[in-house]
Amino acid sequence: MFHNRAEAYALALPAAVFAAIVFLVPVGLLLSEGLHGPGGWSLSAYVQFFSEPLNQKIFLRTLKLGLMVTATAAVIGYATAYAIVSMPAGTKGRMIGLVVLPMMISPVARTYAWIVILGRTGIVNEALKFVGLTDAPIRFLFTETAVFLGLLQLFLPLMIISLVSALENLPKDAVPAARILGANWLQVFVKIILPLTREGLIVGGTLVFTGSLTAYITPAILGGSKVLMLETLLYQQVTVASNFPAASVIAFLLIAMSFSANILLRRIATARSGK
Amino acid sequence: MTRNILAPLTLGLVLLFLIGPFIIIVAASFSAGETLAFPPQGFSFKWIAKVFTVESFRQSFGTSLFLAIGGTLAALILGIPAAYAMSRYRLPGAETVRFMVSLPIVVPGIVVGLALLRYFVIPAGVPILLALFLAHTALILPYAVRVVSASLANLRSDMEEAAVILGASRIGAFVRVVLPNIRGGILAAFILGFVTSFNQVPVSLFLSGPGVRTLPIDMLGYMEIVFDPSIAALSSLLAFLSIGIVLLAERFLGFSRYV
Repeated sequence: MFHNRAEAYALALPAAVFAAIVFLVPVGLLLSEGLHGPGGWSLSAYVQFFSEPLNQKIFLRTLKLGLMVTATAAVIGYATAYAIVSMPAGTKGRMIGLVVLPMMISPVARTYAWIVILGRTGIVNEALKFVGLTDAPIRFLFTETAVFLGLLQLFLPLMIISLVSALENLPKDAVPAARILGANWLQVFVKIILPLTREGLIVGGTLVFTGSLTAYITPAILGGSKVLMLETLLYQQVTVASNFPAASVIAFLLIAMSFSANILLRRIATARSGK
Repeated sequence: MTRNILAPLTLGLVLLFLIGPFIIIVAASFSAGETLAFPPQGFSFKWIAKVFTVESFRQSFGTSLFLAIGGTLAALILGIPAAYAMSRYRLPGAETVRFMVSLPIVVPGIVVGLALLRYFVIPAGVPILLALFLAHTALILPYAVRVVSASLANLRSDMEEAAVILGASRIGAFVRVVLPNIRGGILAAFILGFVTSFNQVPVSLFLSGPGVRTLPIDMLGYMEIVFDPSIAALSSLLAFLSIGIVLLAERFLGFSRYV
């Protein structure tokens, strides 16, 4: 441990100052734009934004889809992570590799694939026609379902990885012991697995939730203007409507949601290290 | 024991869901047909070949490559000293530095892009390419600091203290003792930063102008106009490129130790 304070600052400050100039200043200015009214400071931009029923709907839809994607990822994530953890070491490594693989691929490409699957002449529609379930193609694209699937595909790996490392720290005998003592699977999950892997679930959940809130490509391609989310609404407000106060309000909402999720995560992490 | 069937079945379905779309994209890149469809009509290399002839793809690939390499190098130049200061010095306000540096993770990219456009590019006349470079550098910074910190934490500090006691300058000790030992971590940070920057969309969304566009933004624009398999072909090429880089890094460095 070195004690020269001037040296320490000389090393650490460039990075901090850089982040401040590139991030804090412009983003701060953008946020303050939403707090200016005709006569000085005011919340009128916020009042105006939320008095629009469509904006309320988009705000709630963004939250709803974020929560749905997170909850679904958690359920699927536990089942998958449990299956992976109970495998022999070599296979386990390969399975984790396969789960991580999609994260290396451009989100543009990953979202694009869903058009091939869900489009008018896509795989799902052709299959339905072949089986004779429909004559006319069903519209899947530009629905909440399409956005939901796209987001889930994008962020599920993060949840699985978090839960795999949490489950690996579970004492090996805990689950068999509970089973021998007569607990059913639901009891084992609620009383043993859930409390012991809570932190992994929270880390994964925060990553999936903030990821879903702040994803742009998926709602843009799979939702379009029919299923606007906060990110795509922000883009539209700037490029189509040139409504900067509204853009500032949306920016605030996105930052606030992302910040709260991160603070929650950090608080839980420090509560853990403190005990 | 029903769960013995259930667990692999779940895993299989999940992997199909995660990797299936990628397989579809790869298959579609070899299509001989004119529109994007699955199963592909016929087999040909014409879409793969077409990717290389589209002028705007070549240009935006160059822009993205410049941003990914330049941004990652800049982030490392800022990030390595910061990580070193936080791990080896008693730094009052280390938490503030950590918070500042990790801001780019918390603030959504689209907000940053808009803020830079509105307060740097338009009023101050900052060129778009420079704004993109600053944004990408800031975006990679948290990853650089995190990965380098992790690898500094694995290196005992008595080695460089010994070097200093034996008469090396602080900088000399860093260059000759610390740097060679955290080489792997720096390379891991470089790869992580490169992939993050290269695939980044939201930050670059507002920061595009005539002749200056990142590749993903160019692909998004192309998709809105033409719906042929060339985007699939380009996507597969990029995917194999990044998988290749990561596999090489894993093979030679044990990349996964650092991430």
